[in-house]
Amino acid sequence: MRTSLNNIQLTEEYLFGLLPAGDKLLFDANRLLNTELDNNVSAQQQTYILVQQYGRKQLKAEMETVHRQLFTQPRHYSFAQSILRLFR
Amino acid sequence: MATMLHTPAQREELFIRLYKKAFPAAANYVRKMGGSFDEAKDVFQDALVIYYEKAVTVPTPVNTSDAAYLLGITRHLWLKKNRENNLLQPLDTYECGDKEEHLPSSDKLMYYLETAGQKCMEMLRAFYYDKLPVKDIATLFGYSGERSATVQKYKCLEKVRDTVKQKALTYEDFLE
Repeated sequence: MRTSLNNIQLTEEYLFGLLPAGDKLLFDANRLLNTELDNNVSAQQQTYILVQQYGRKQLKAEMETVHRQLFTQPRHYSFAQSILRLFR
Repeated sequence: MATMLHTPAQREELFIRLYKKAFPAAANYVRKMGGSFDEAKDVFQDALVIYYEKAVTVPTPVNTSDAAYLLGITRHLWLKKNRENNLLQPLDTYECGDKEEHLPSSDKLMYYLETAGQKCMEMLRAFYYDKLPVKDIATLFGYSGERSATVQKYKCLEKVRDTVKQKALTYEDFLE
């Protein structure tokens, strides 16, 4: 793997708390000394947050499809009615 | 549990099953509490998200029936939501802190990633959100093996990270 990808991997282990204490200390020190590294770490951390948000958004879209199916398709008619009746 | 959740089709099947098992009781609860059909749907879907995230994280299934568990979360979310609404009512002219989480820059970034970066986002989702085993991700995304799927994961992380960096700069300029 090229160096930049190895750095991504190392940063992931750092952010997920998987580095041994000594390596973590070294990484922390490098962050303080190297602004570029520090920016990369912050951006990678934000990337995981974005992936989480993206995952939830997609999952909700999948649920929306299921919801629409259940409340429009004839084969789910009796289920849909039993729910809708509650709110009449 | 996680073995059943690898593809959109498997998730769809799970959601239909859970909807049929658990939504009637959840909807009935929300109605009794004075909520509407749409509110019942929203709160139940939030409960399903929590159920899903737990199911993919914890290898053993929760130690109650799915329906009882989902009803429990629905209740909790409903009460929480309404407590918050009541607390916020007298303050509705105030700007509340929550707003910061929805900066336009983050919405724009997400939109960009959903469109231009969709392939990578789908793969990263499979790794970090759906928590699928590497072997299955390789198969799903058409990679020859675990090694090349893992390398691709790091490439995607790098790509999205660089987009985050680049967009952060652009939007800062834009916002100022």
